[in-house]
Amino acid sequence: MLPPIEEIEVERIHGRDKQERKASARDIDVDMNPMVDLAFLLLTFFMLATTFSKPQAMELLVPAKPDEEELERETPVRESLTISLVLLEDKIVRYRGISDPETFDMPYDNGPLREFLLGAMAEIDGLVVLVKPLPESNVEHLVTVLDALNVTNVQRYALAEPSDFDQTLSSAIQIEEP
Amino acid sequence: MPKLRNIRKKPKLDMNPMVDMAFLLVSFFMMTTTFKAELPEEVRIPPSSSEVKLPEKALCTISLSADGRVFISLDNKFERKRVLDAVGAHYGLQFTDDQRRAFALLGGVGVAMADLPALLDARMRGEPFQQMGIPLGEGGELRQWLLTARMVNPRLRFAINADARAKYPEMNELIETLRDLNITRFSIVTDLKSSYAAAD
Repeated sequence: MLPPIEEIEVERIHGRDKQERKASARDIDVDMNPMVDLAFLLLTFFMLATTFSKPQAMELLVPAKPDEEELERETPVRESLTISLVLLEDKIVRYRGISDPETFDMPYDNGPLREFLLGAMAEIDGLVVLVKPLPESNVEHLVTVLDALNVTNVQRYALAEPSDFDQTLSSAIQIEEP
Repeated sequence: MPKLRNIRKKPKLDMNPMVDMAFLLVSFFMMTTTFKAELPEEVRIPPSSSEVKLPEKALCTISLSADGRVFISLDNKFERKRVLDAVGAHYGLQFTDDQRRAFALLGGVGVAMADLPALLDARMRGEPFQQMGIPLGEGGELRQWLLTARMVNPRLRFAINADARAKYPEMNELIETLRDLNITRFSIVTDLKSSYAAAD
């Protein structure tokens, strides 16, 4: 026969009474210091390994390669509206139009470059800037010029193949060098 | 009068809140971290005033080192394996599981197709391997890599991570390769310089 339910001592079911359990709980004392050490070690690692500054990027839109049909329909741009920036090794040569241009030198410097572009935009309605990097120029030069074009909000610009005339700018400079 | 005894009791500090906090920070950093992409070649990024951030996901980066070598890297480890398989199939190469795993862990690859198995084997053994760059040009392997990557993930975006000192002809070749594949919108990775910020 089972005893009536009221007589069962719940406290004793697991063999220990309340008092005992309390006592043993007080005795357990885990040293947390190694755990803190580990946690901070991991923390340091992740803090150092993480990249907070994501790289910036410059969006570039280039025209798709035209097929032959499109090449025929290509609209020419009026010479007088164009300004060419020829990128050389240590400076930019700029000129307006194509035939018999008067050339000016510019350093790879943001201030003058932007000033010039803003002036050109004010002067020429529907300005088209042709960027012509010569083989001796590098990526930094290209990015500097594209950046100036973006900042000054020049609406129409293009990367163009250097013409024969542009090539002579380069060789002329090379001759001048001692 | 009884002498006052100096009771030396070891001070006890409850470390539990500290552990809580430390692990909270650890989990935060674990979840937010994106590891620096390991590139075979250090690239000095050109400065600009652009503040546009590079897209985080679905990004294919084409790196151009100062001496004109080209590397390609994909941000998604799972896509890397599929791209490797597809490119390998095109060139009639079969890769072992170990090689595929090595490729998935590789930050960027810059070798000709013929050297790729050797590179992956060296990687598995933890040996250094001189990467000479992906061949460019007409019918070059870079074109095939980009084409395959785009087929695996049609929404892939492209970025050119070119060294500031890299010469223009190589850069032009990259741009032309992208144009040739009808990728007309891409990014050039630049470094934000405060001195470059628009003064006006």
